[in-house]
Amino acid sequence: MTTTAPTRATRFTVNGDPVEVAGPGGERLLDALRIDLGLVGTKEGCGEGECGACTVLVDGMPVLSCLVPVGQVEGRDVRTVEGLAEDGRLDPVQAAFVDSGGVQCGICTPGILMSARAFLDSGAEPTDEAIREVIAGNLCRCTGYMKVIDAIAKAATTAPREVPGGLPQVPRELPGPPIRPNVEPGSDVRVGPAFVRPTTLAETYALLAEGTWRPIAGGTDIMVELAGGADAQGLLDLTGIEELRGIRVDGDRLVIGAAATYTDLRRSPLVAEHLPAIAELSAVFGATQLQNMATLGGNVVNASPAGDSLPLMLAAEAVLVVGGAGGERAIPAASFFTGYRRTALQPGELLLRMEFPIGGGRHLRYRKIGTRRALALSKVALAVAWRVEPGSPAWRDVRVAVGTITEVPIRAPSAEAVLEGATPSVEVAERAAVAVLEDIHPRDGLRSTAAYRRSATARVLRRVVEDAAG
Amino acid sequence: MTIKAPVRTPHAIPAPPGPAPTAPPEASPARRIPHPATDPRSVPRVDAVPKLLGVTRYTDDFLVPGAWHGATVRATEAHARLLGIDRDPAFDWSQVVVLTAKDVPGENVIHLMKDDQPVLAADEICHVGEPVALVAAPTLALARAARDHVRLRTEPLPPVTDMLASDHVFTEYNIARGDLEAGFSEADLVIEGTYRVGHQEQLYIETQGMIAVPRPDGGVTVHGSLQCPYYVHAAMKRALGLDAERCIVVQEDTGGAFGGKEEFPSGLAIHAAMLALAVGRPVRLIYDRHEDISVTTKRHPAVVTHRTGVTRDGRLVAQDIDITFDGGAYATLSSVVLSRGTLHSAGPYACPNVRIHARAVRTHTPPTGAFRGFGAPQTEFAVETHVNRIAEALGVSPAELRARWAYRLGDQTPTQQVLKDSVSARETLAAALEASEFEAHRAAFAAARRVDRAAGRPRSAPGIGVAMGWHGAGFTGGGEKYLASIAGVELTADGSVRVLSDQTEMGQGMRTVFAQIVADRLGIPFEDVDVVRQDTSVVPNSGPTVASRTTMVVGGLVARAADRLKAAVEERAPGPFAATYREVGRAGGRLRFDEQFTGYPDITWDDATYVGDAYPAFSWAAATAEVEVDLDTGEVAVKHVVSADDCGTVINPLMAAGQVEGGSLQAVGYATIEEMKLKDGRFLNDRLSKYLIPTSLDAPKITAVLVENPFANEPHGAKGIGELPMDVVAPAVVAAIHDATGAWITELPATPERVLAALDAADRDAEEARS
Repeated sequence: MTTTAPTRATRFTVNGDPVEVAGPGGERLLDALRIDLGLVGTKEGCGEGECGACTVLVDGMPVLSCLVPVGQVEGRDVRTVEGLAEDGRLDPVQAAFVDSGGVQCGICTPGILMSARAFLDSGAEPTDEAIREVIAGNLCRCTGYMKVIDAIAKAATTAPREVPGGLPQVPRELPGPPIRPNVEPGSDVRVGPAFVRPTTLAETYALLAEGTWRPIAGGTDIMVELAGGADAQGLLDLTGIEELRGIRVDGDRLVIGAAATYTDLRRSPLVAEHLPAIAELSAVFGATQLQNMATLGGNVVNASPAGDSLPLMLAAEAVLVVGGAGGERAIPAASFFTGYRRTALQPGELLLRMEFPIGGGRHLRYRKIGTRRALALSKVALAVAWRVEPGSPAWRDVRVAVGTITEVPIRAPSAEAVLEGATPSVEVAERAAVAVLEDIHPRDGLRSTAAYRRSATARVLRRVVEDAAG
Repeated sequence: MTIKAPVRTPHAIPAPPGPAPTAPPEASPARRIPHPATDPRSVPRVDAVPKLLGVTRYTDDFLVPGAWHGATVRATEAHARLLGIDRDPAFDWSQVVVLTAKDVPGENVIHLMKDDQPVLAADEICHVGEPVALVAAPTLALARAARDHVRLRTEPLPPVTDMLASDHVFTEYNIARGDLEAGFSEADLVIEGTYRVGHQEQLYIETQGMIAVPRPDGGVTVHGSLQCPYYVHAAMKRALGLDAERCIVVQEDTGGAFGGKEEFPSGLAIHAAMLALAVGRPVRLIYDRHEDISVTTKRHPAVVTHRTGVTRDGRLVAQDIDITFDGGAYATLSSVVLSRGTLHSAGPYACPNVRIHARAVRTHTPPTGAFRGFGAPQTEFAVETHVNRIAEALGVSPAELRARWAYRLGDQTPTQQVLKDSVSARETLAAALEASEFEAHRAAFAAARRVDRAAGRPRSAPGIGVAMGWHGAGFTGGGEKYLASIAGVELTADGSVRVLSDQTEMGQGMRTVFAQIVADRLGIPFEDVDVVRQDTSVVPNSGPTVASRTTMVVGGLVARAADRLKAAVEERAPGPFAATYREVGRAGGRLRFDEQFTGYPDITWDDATYVGDAYPAFSWAAATAEVEVDLDTGEVAVKHVVSADDCGTVINPLMAAGQVEGGSLQAVGYATIEEMKLKDGRFLNDRLSKYLIPTSLDAPKITAVLVENPFANEPHGAKGIGELPMDVVAPAVVAAIHDATGAWITELPATPERVLAALDAADRDAEEARS
């Protein structure tokens, strides 16, 4: 625990009411809600961003409050389960859960309600498929999800409802009997790291130069590390810096700001047009709440061997532009990942943006293999890029990159050699699948076996090539 | 699997069995509920609104000003001698309380069945994560820091982590019926198979937690997330050396349990209480998810071997079953988990000659314990997969074979129990087959696979599988009689009706179901029945909330107590109960009737020989599963599960369907992705990012078909539903994978790794066949 953190006040609104929370700012929003504000309807199921029980809405968007430093919600609007019922009436989604039998033990219910409320507010059509996707980040162990899905589907046509006898009051004063002994207040306070939120790169570089601040954007890696007992440093929040956001096309490059979230990428028409593989990658990252929080730049800088995007960066020949007090430099992805969770970033430097060449007959395919359909760390991630010239189906400049199986993502030269200049066919696909086994030498690990990673990589590569053959 | 033709008829090729018996006898009282959601009995659950508003208080929601925080110092070795416990001299201990085994006020034992598990390890460490010392401090951060500065001095001892290598047997059972050798000599085909299942984590979303508050009388009250208040109570009395009145256990609203909060909270409550008594303040001891997964009990891993004899015309003539369960380091509930596993291991099939040998052994791994199904999912996975393989060997439909073999009224089980009442094996099978259109899908999927293969390399393959099962309702053998549960119904002096029992609400719906049962007997609205909260200073001991017994056994007691209350009120005031009871209560003071369980008629059981009526009744189920197997990655998408379940007369069809759906998804997880990995006795994937359960995107469509076949020995006719759905779905999924790919996965879970390995092996075989 840091002891140097200055106490400050974070001001925001909760369910429409202005609140102020004292603390260094790096403490979890979840604790601010539960401990400081007594809003214990928001639950902690894992503290690591894996269960969704702590889901709240920040400016209408579902996020995991266990991974949000409270400083990040300064000036913003937070909505919790306690704010759903209005004027003594159940929100339609709450009423629909009563009717459909969507509640059993109830511990995951507040988080699911918040995900559902945001979804219903978006006006999207509540199809079975869409509902399953929006609650994929909310684990429920009781219901099998059937009646939860049914409730959300019916909420759109359910009216707010009076409850006979009125709503049970939400006690702000905590708690009532039976437990209120003999004691001085304050012993439940948890402290967190210091927190700063600069708005310019110049300020950011100056803070980085102090050497004690750790950059944070989505928080989905760093806050998990802190929860696991990592030394709490000061958190340097990057989400207020305009230059780090945004997605644009600059000539023959697609430029993605380091702090663009996966949700930004999924929704971007430019990504859909020029590099749809990045939208596909974003759609299979975590689940809704994590997509709303996590950034592609964070995935790259964190450089976890299981980082979903790393092989895509290699295959797509991304250029990573980093900046510091001394200026900017452009680093090709091929030389950015230098070792286990190590990158070419120097102390005092920050990833600013990622630039991807586009056009010129370029194609990019991406496949992630996890163990389940959401919230899964990858066991193999495969990216294949090639170019075709007008009038010829032959593949040129083929790049096959494989992630997760080694400490840094690798290229697959034998497979590339088979595919370079070849016209995709069933036979070429088979040869590429055999060749890629020369390139990859995974080890047995916790998430998968070496044999599986080899076989699945070969089969998926074969599929990608066969599909291209049409 | 090895298929062995017996010596007597080495070349016998079984003829396909004759046509399946026709539909169930028309006399069957089993009825399907056509529309559970709109059935008038499907009242909304009484606790739904507070849970939806976020005002329900779970244990960790009680912020107790001034409470200290506890933490647990744990062993890091699987087996060692404990030589000493040292505090880091560089750490500031001035605000920290540290307790070790010598500080246990009473006996250093967590009382349960064999009383072999210490509250805190004293001189021998028997598993990774075993509690060795406790700390408490004013803040959570300080408590955790202090925990990390306690050092254990140990001397390693050799651990046994493989159950098959263990020679320490906790419990052993032998069951024999008929003449096994005669059965095998009658067989034309003998089929053998070995099946393995691993640990499964309950993964309730609310972690284990307890808050202990010292009492002015020198005792302690614990508030916690738990299933069995009187288990905790008994364990606290013994370990704390306190009398019953000075140990109070209060169950707070509980965010899921599934068996994981059956026996484990006893030790946790003792730990919290010891700290609270030592500090003289309330102490909160709330596990984070990592600690919870690392050290709490899991489903028993098992190895089950079947050797089965069948005749060429498809009769089942011999079953020889060998079972090993891994109990982990302490006995916990292993003897009864194994008992249930053993009693269900032959499946719901009539067989004249049966031998079952079962044992639960000790290993130096974290103790295993209760988890929904309680031993039955392990052995039913084995027998159902085996039956599916027998059907394949005989060349008959697995549905048709089951229809021939399934129990009927009057059949005898391996313990020589004559099934006298409420048998719905065939009815549930027929219901599941119909609702899933099993045979039509099976044929259509086979055709689709042929078309896909002809068109090139298929991306994926569809398949469908079936399994059936049974689940004994209530405690095994003489257990219910031994428990002698008490539950009561009271008319209070303010004229309201309340139910008193220690059965806990953990999401399954006890509060609503008890209110409905009592309201139905009394003829009043269910909203007017209050179910008193579970506080051992208030409610009687009606036994643990386990074993699918709450609605059937304790629900029966409260129904009878309600009947007595009704009679007493009607004696005092003419007219219907509903019109008079409030006035009677206010005028005459309180009326309370307690009922005690004394046994069902005509039920006999011999625990020494394992002969007799193993359960007062069985619940019955059948399930089908449709899957799509990704042939590139081995991933199994379970698309649709149909589960048809008979739990007797249903009290609340919507909530019963909810039990079926939830249990089915846990079984899908067990079948496909849920796997605890161990190395040297340590769980490797002890975080929620690494132990995966199904998300909404992994969950199939689940169709619950409720079949009602009343249980004659209870006034309300109910049997149990909680565990049954967990028993049948996993083998149906594995059968569907086989249908899709031709591969039999005999070890759960059927992970992509196992499926792809099977596909690779099939490819290699095909390659060899070509060359």
